[in-house]
Amino acid sequence: MRLKLFWLACAILAIALLLSCNSGSGNKNRLLIYTPHGQDLLKDFIARYKQQYPDADVQFLDMGSREVLERVRVERNRPQADLWWGASHTTFQTAAEENLLLEFRPSWTDKIPASSRDANDRWYGTYETPQVIAYNSEEVSEAEAPRDWDDVIDPKWRDKVLIRNPNPSDTMRAIFGAMIWRFYKDTGSPDKGYDWLRKLDANVREYTADGTLLMQKLGRREGLITLWDMPDVRLFKEQKNFPVGYFVPASGTPVIIDGIAIIRGAPNQEEAKRFYEFVTTPESLVYAAHKYYRIPVRTDLDRSQLPAWMNEPFTRLPLDWDLLRKNGSEWLRYWDTEIRGRN
Amino acid sequence: MNTDSLRQIRFYPWRSVVLFFITAVVLVYGVIYPNLSVLITSFQRAGAWTLVNYREVLSQWVVIEAIVSSLGLSVGTVLLCAIVGVPLAFLFERFTFPGRRLFAALATLPLVLPPLVGTVAFIFLFGESGILAHGIQNFLALENPPWRLRGWPALLLFHTYTMYPFFYVLTGAGLRRIDASLAEAARSLGASKTVVLRRVVLPQLTPSLLAAALLTFMTSMASFSAPLFFGGDVRVLTLEIFTARQRGDAVMAVTETVVLAIISLGALVFFQRYEGTRKFAAAAMKGAPRRRAIIASGKARVLATVVAVIFAIVLVLPVATLFLVSFAREGSWTTQTLPSDYTLANYQRLFADPFASEVFFNSFTMSAIAAVAALLWSFCVVTFLRRRRFVGRRLVSLLVLIPWALPGTVVAVSVADAYGSPGSLLGSFVLVGTFWILPVVYFLRFMPLVVRALQASMEQLDPTLEEAAGSLGARAWQRFTRVTLPLVWPGAVAGTLLAFVIALGEYVASVLVFVPGNRPISIAIASELRDFNLGAAAAYGVVLIVIISISMMVAGKLERLRS
Repeated sequence: MRLKLFWLACAILAIALLLSCNSGSGNKNRLLIYTPHGQDLLKDFIARYKQQYPDADVQFLDMGSREVLERVRVERNRPQADLWWGASHTTFQTAAEENLLLEFRPSWTDKIPASSRDANDRWYGTYETPQVIAYNSEEVSEAEAPRDWDDVIDPKWRDKVLIRNPNPSDTMRAIFGAMIWRFYKDTGSPDKGYDWLRKLDANVREYTADGTLLMQKLGRREGLITLWDMPDVRLFKEQKNFPVGYFVPASGTPVIIDGIAIIRGAPNQEEAKRFYEFVTTPESLVYAAHKYYRIPVRTDLDRSQLPAWMNEPFTRLPLDWDLLRKNGSEWLRYWDTEIRGRN
Repeated sequence: MNTDSLRQIRFYPWRSVVLFFITAVVLVYGVIYPNLSVLITSFQRAGAWTLVNYREVLSQWVVIEAIVSSLGLSVGTVLLCAIVGVPLAFLFERFTFPGRRLFAALATLPLVLPPLVGTVAFIFLFGESGILAHGIQNFLALENPPWRLRGWPALLLFHTYTMYPFFYVLTGAGLRRIDASLAEAARSLGASKTVVLRRVVLPQLTPSLLAAALLTFMTSMASFSAPLFFGGDVRVLTLEIFTARQRGDAVMAVTETVVLAIISLGALVFFQRYEGTRKFAAAAMKGAPRRRAIIASGKARVLATVVAVIFAIVLVLPVATLFLVSFAREGSWTTQTLPSDYTLANYQRLFADPFASEVFFNSFTMSAIAAVAALLWSFCVVTFLRRRRFVGRRLVSLLVLIPWALPGTVVAVSVADAYGSPGSLLGSFVLVGTFWILPVVYFLRFMPLVVRALQASMEQLDPTLEEAAGSLGARAWQRFTRVTLPLVWPGAVAGTLLAFVIALGEYVASVLVFVPGNRPISIAIASELRDFNLGAAAAYGVVLIVIISISMMVAGKLERLRS
């Protein structure tokens, strides 16, 4: 018996050793991407990339954007990844200030607004995500659905609103920040914004752990109203046949910029740059717009090639993102300790 | 000649040195060195040594609330798990009735539910729009769902469901080692059944029960998914740590982590002290374990079977739900009680994906490496702890348990920090970015399970048996393989299996350190969940459950091989 056990252990160790040899990097054109964009999009783009560059060995690790940040921090002494594709610009700015990202000027530097990129070229915007008010379209008619932020805190929606837990979510942080900023920009104090969040809290049925649960609960009518981003809501409606509709808030909505960046100390920078350029060509952006509902940031595209809904006009809510980033954590902490679940 | 001097004669010093060396190397490289920086960070502010972090953390009432909630939740979990797990172990170990073996196998079912898909299954089953709530709502024509899966009841339900196997498995293993002749002797001396249970059986079981209570307590303290998914407004320490991290307040997160670890290790000290007062003179095991009583009386037989069947249904429901989700068409199951539309698409997606078979292979290999290494190492530590009644003994038991007392994220981050670049430690090596980082993290996180299970078995073992073998001329190796090993084998296999199964579904640490060459199942499940492919995630879960069930059957065979 003990011999058997011994051989079993040996066999397992041997297999593992073989495995670890296999995964060793010998390939010059290797590229490792960290991304929250989902495996379907990644596999698709890697296949397209390989048609053009057959010698490339592209791999990706898919995880949430906050998890990417955490990983890049952990690996700062020995960077593993080359490219970080996907996260809100606030997360990228945080990483940039922690000196985790490499400066790189893509060929289309001047084709996007200056606000959609880092002034020091450490990250560039690829897609933009406007935030919307979404509702269960089987239970709520278009006429009665809320059309602006203040409609959501109407007492008639008491216990009907679902909100994703804002702590780990860039989307929700941006929305909460925007709600406070609406008043802060006039009063210089977050108090009125807190009051708004208190009224929202009174209407909230549940702060869900993640976006998937949020949409599931909305579909199952545990709640009827939520705040979420436009591309996702559209994707659920059209690709997953979800009973969901949305309105862009009439008074204006925050638009998050989703970006791309090369990791400082990346082992395969040349390949990373090539892939960076590849996924941001007009062709790639139009393709992603149609197939994955990503709204491109580049302003030089032929808008008629984009899906019609991307060309519908909406009002933007201008925000001081730096102030939001600086004060956001303190605001969120106040919300977490003094507002959440107390109204 | 007293036993101490006997030991000194029997045990060659070099053997102790080797054991000490192996124990020390793993503890220094795996536990002390990586976690030292965590401890140091919590005591520093702007480069200076200070207690200000602790003062700040402990002066916030939300943190105090979180500490109290975590403690309350853990104590409640331990009690509920004991109430469910111990009687079940007695029922299945002591009695035989129709279907016993099937139900005994089912009782370990919660172990096979990885936390990621486990929470999803719970939400689909017990959630306010889940099968049960919907069914009752439709049946009674209620306007609102009859309950909501939130807050304390939800937490305790999920914790009890997922953690009672600690009690069930360890008590079961303990019962198998109990000397039946002692109980018989007590009965023949006129002791009543309850007296025998209280004075003879329970004292012999104490090490197993304490080990289970400690594991449950610590698991519950470090539990993260359950409070995140259905804690509602209940604040627990792990969530506070997570929130602080997300806010970018790393120092506060680290300080709170140390507080969490201190509470968990405090529990260890408490349990050890209690254990000391309940030490019993272990009896010589004559290799005659108690036979299972056949429940002959008709009523009792029916009752035992009914209890077992009801229990089995409750246990199977979440897994059955997972099956159901894996066959439901995406987006079709919203307000119906059961899915209206079934499909094989989720499995087709899984089997068409070349990545899928790879992740199963990766997880299986890495968990097996970690579990086998933990088993081998546990023998070193436990033998070492038994022999050397020295001052550092307590310290070593504490050190062994530190990785279990810490949240998984912290273990991964500290290992990655320590082995992220060639360090100052002698013979330091780089793990970040290699295949080996995950087996190492799995080993560190889950070896306390094996060590505790083995320690519990060893403490039930009568040392005079080994001494007798020694005096009959058996060498150390012979004593080990012919006397000790057969007696502790069930406990060792049970602990190793636990570690293996839990490692298979590990997520929170994996996500921070996995590489393309070792992408584990949990990452694949999380990807599917993020893309709202609930059915595909469930399909992964179902395949994982099948793999785990097969492993358990193999382990069952291994366990019987020895006894």
